[in-house]
Amino acid sequence: MRYKNLLALSCCAVLALGAAACGSNDSSPSSGGSSSSSTSGSTAKAGGTINGAGATFPAPVYQEWAARFKEDQGTTVNYQPIGSGGGIAQFSAGTVDFGATDSAMKPDEIATAQKKGSDPVHVPTVLGAVTVSYNVDGIEQGLKLDGETVADIFLGKIKKWNDPKIASQNSGTQLPSTSITVCHRSDESGTTANFTSFLTDYSSAWKSGPGTDKSVKWPTGTGAKGNDGVAGCVKQTKGAVGYVEQAYALQNKFTTAAIKNKSGQYVEPSLQATSAAAQGVTPPADLRFSTINSPNAQAYPISAVTFLLVWADACKAGQNATQAKLVKNWLNYGLGPGQQIAPQLQYAPLPDNIKTKAQAKVDALQCNGAAINGAS
Amino acid sequence: MEAGSLTSRATVRGGRSIHERSPRSRAIDPLLKWFLSGLAALILVLIAFFFIRLFIEAKPAFDKFGYIGFVFHNSWVPSQQLYGALPLVVGTLITSAIALIIGVPVAIATALYITELAPTRVKAPLTVTVELLAAVPSVVYGLWGIAVLAPKLQPAEQWFSDTFGFLPLVGGQVSIPNYFIAGLILAIMIIPIVSAISREVMATVPGDHKEAALALGATRWEMIKIAVLPYSRAGISGAAMLGLGRAIGETIAVTIVIGNAADIGSTIFSQGYTLAAVIANEFGEAASDPTHRAALIAAGLVLFVLTLLVNALARYYVNRASRPATVPKGMAG
Amino acid sequence: MSAVAQRSLRPVSPRRRRSDAIARGVVLAFTIVAIVPLVAILYWLVKEGLGAWSKTFFTTDPTGRFLGDPGGIRSAILGTIEMVALASIIAVPIGVGVALYLVEYGKVGRFANVVRYFVDVMTGVPSVVFGLFVYIVLVVTKVAGTFAAWKGSVALALLMLPVVIRSAEVVLNLVPNSLREAALALGAPRWKVIFRIVLPTALPGIVTGSLLAVARAAGETAPLLFTAAFVLGSSADLSQRMNSLPLQIFNDVGQAQDRLVQRAWGAALTLVVMVLLLTLIARLIQRRSKLSP
Repeated sequence: MRYKNLLALSCCAVLALGAAACGSNDSSPSSGGSSSSSTSGSTAKAGGTINGAGATFPAPVYQEWAARFKEDQGTTVNYQPIGSGGGIAQFSAGTVDFGATDSAMKPDEIATAQKKGSDPVHVPTVLGAVTVSYNVDGIEQGLKLDGETVADIFLGKIKKWNDPKIASQNSGTQLPSTSITVCHRSDESGTTANFTSFLTDYSSAWKSGPGTDKSVKWPTGTGAKGNDGVAGCVKQTKGAVGYVEQAYALQNKFTTAAIKNKSGQYVEPSLQATSAAAQGVTPPADLRFSTINSPNAQAYPISAVTFLLVWADACKAGQNATQAKLVKNWLNYGLGPGQQIAPQLQYAPLPDNIKTKAQAKVDALQCNGAAINGAS
Repeated sequence: MEAGSLTSRATVRGGRSIHERSPRSRAIDPLLKWFLSGLAALILVLIAFFFIRLFIEAKPAFDKFGYIGFVFHNSWVPSQQLYGALPLVVGTLITSAIALIIGVPVAIATALYITELAPTRVKAPLTVTVELLAAVPSVVYGLWGIAVLAPKLQPAEQWFSDTFGFLPLVGGQVSIPNYFIAGLILAIMIIPIVSAISREVMATVPGDHKEAALALGATRWEMIKIAVLPYSRAGISGAAMLGLGRAIGETIAVTIVIGNAADIGSTIFSQGYTLAAVIANEFGEAASDPTHRAALIAAGLVLFVLTLLVNALARYYVNRASRPATVPKGMAG
Repeated sequence: MSAVAQRSLRPVSPRRRRSDAIARGVVLAFTIVAIVPLVAILYWLVKEGLGAWSKTFFTTDPTGRFLGDPGGIRSAILGTIEMVALASIIAVPIGVGVALYLVEYGKVGRFANVVRYFVDVMTGVPSVVFGLFVYIVLVVTKVAGTFAAWKGSVALALLMLPVVIRSAEVVLNLVPNSLREAALALGAPRWKVIFRIVLPTALPGIVTGSLLAVARAAGETAPLLFTAAFVLGSSADLSQRMNSLPLQIFNDVGQAQDRLVQRAWGAALTLVVMVLLLTLIARLIQRRSKLSP
């Protein structure tokens, strides 16, 4: 019967499509398996796959690390940027091998994680700048804004770009009368936690209102998922303002504001200003610290450190020894070659004192009481 | 042919007569029956398990907030452990209502046109075209909605909001993703199903009724008003209910274009949230929080129950439509 | 009756003629309104999506890299094909089996009616609830790992099952009873009647229904969110996470980078082409079969 021919033809078409895709010679560095040639190292490649999930803030640099890590060691790192809240949740539930967050875990979150059988360890990796980016025709350079003004914008109290509060700090600039549209996060976000932490320091209205948290009740504005979503929101809407990590702002060529820091200087977000925020910081023993509102004169006040979350004893928490070793390799890569790569994407590497402490934490990771050995 | 030779020569393959079926062959029949009954029973077991499991997992949320409290409390703030689903329920209802208001008349008109008014050559291609709307995946609707429709409609929406701001539910700043766009996309998505069922129902209108109306001098439209629409009323209601069920459950297209704000927006041009969208968005963040997860599953259960009710209502209407209709008004005196 | 006849036998008044024309115009206008979105979507798909199509688009995986090459959608295409294939292998035999039961053994009887009712119930369940169910039962309980492609297939199979059962039941009912009775009269056992007579006759219709169910499953996103999750690389390993076209589109939709949005359009065009091909083949088979509903 003729339908049989049609059926055969359609099956062949589907198989052909699949075969063509499978059998093709691809040049992407993330092809399956560890057969791609490597430019470094003659040791046998570790291979394997580890899964991670979490903050969108450092996603650009983690994805870049993942691509180069794979070339280097053959291990595939699947990093899903779903927000810090999601990263902490998935990590505590054990559905990923490592988590990522820009906001250190709260005590109750740590308690939940400990139920898994081991303590969570915060490993700081890089620092980034939370920029106040905007898309306004007629303002081509960075506006000077202080903390209270930014808070009032995000509270909806300042509704137009030519508001006196903005104009008083930018006397040389002609400001249009465009309405302000606020873009904020709709998911649980470490970037939000850091941004609102900054706002709370400068605005009592913010402190008593939305407050500081990964997810707050925004008085006004449009919500979007992830740093990329907020960037999309700012890009699409004329007159919009949003808070995104610097890599996203640079890529979309947003104009970013110069924010007044604790010393009274208006500082533009830049690699140096971000690094300055971490100078002289002495983190506590568990490395859960924040660099928001740094007192350093050259510091950008909304600089944030971001963490990778791993288990102190991975095997007690349910991972197997191979996965634990691969995760440790990944962490060593991030604290090693990764620190050289980060500035290329305008993320600041860790200052030496913090890096040493972080490396010590990684070296102390265990599997069932024994140190995880294995070359990096 | 003599009857005798028929029975004596009647064989099945293998040369055996019907009187001599092998034991193995005899055994397969009841085996097959039990196997197929087992599969059918599997469906029942699956649904029962489905419902029970969902309920068990959702129970912690209901225990904490109460059934009424969960559904009718107006604050969904996971970071503060507050799970009142009212904004979600309201969002679901608003978007579905918009979808029905816009989609059902268009679908009925399409069905009417195809069955009564279209030239014969156009009927089949038009039917296929409307059905193609159902073949487009919902994520593609979402992509088109947020990338093309929402930005392009925003100036018109803002104009409408400014001009008719005195109307309730209208006015204020128009957000690019909002209830209205979500409702519009849903309307487009339910057109094929409402239209297909309406078409089936309209096709069953007895020709006598239509011809009688025409014979009495009714214009085409009057014939439709007198003979077709009253007869199909129950069936069309059923079709609309099925469309409603589809609109309530749609997740991905809605979450892309509604803005995902867990508040009851003040106008139809504000952002909102629906039961289905909240599940898709927050399950990742709920992985290690049992209360949050229970709340999301409870939202799923509420959604499930809503669609069950709506579909049961739809089935009732469609079944009523297939019963013999009473003579419409205005006919035989 | 005579009063009505007298009134209606007069020539049609201009007012009635006008309202007839207006009403017909409105109906036609609404019908066009129904078609416009389809045309618009297809137009935009081709306009934006075709530009994304290239050899590398189909042969490279998404890289997830921020700067540099974003990659293509190879893993998404392969993932959809693999997961939908597995889902069909699960759903079609079970669905046809249940339909067989309903038609061959369950024409009357409360059990069969209850099953029919519940199949109807299943068709109305939103796909996100199926995904949530599989998430609770298979992912959270860590049955053989957490997120896995085969669990996504299970969720898709649950979705396909009622569609397959319904359409198979309709087609099996169309097989003329005379065929069955003739075979039974010749002494064939019931199972032979089913496998040698009924199924082959109904096969085109069953294939049509299954292809339509497959087309629907290929476009579903929500069930896969909770079960197969998202991953960049291609793999044939169904016990691990796997990418899929709807998920790839969903991830690229809200992005700020224009080339990622364009990749979403290209993936959407690919998905729509696949779904339309399946639908077209299904309809062609239906047209050529001897049994048409």
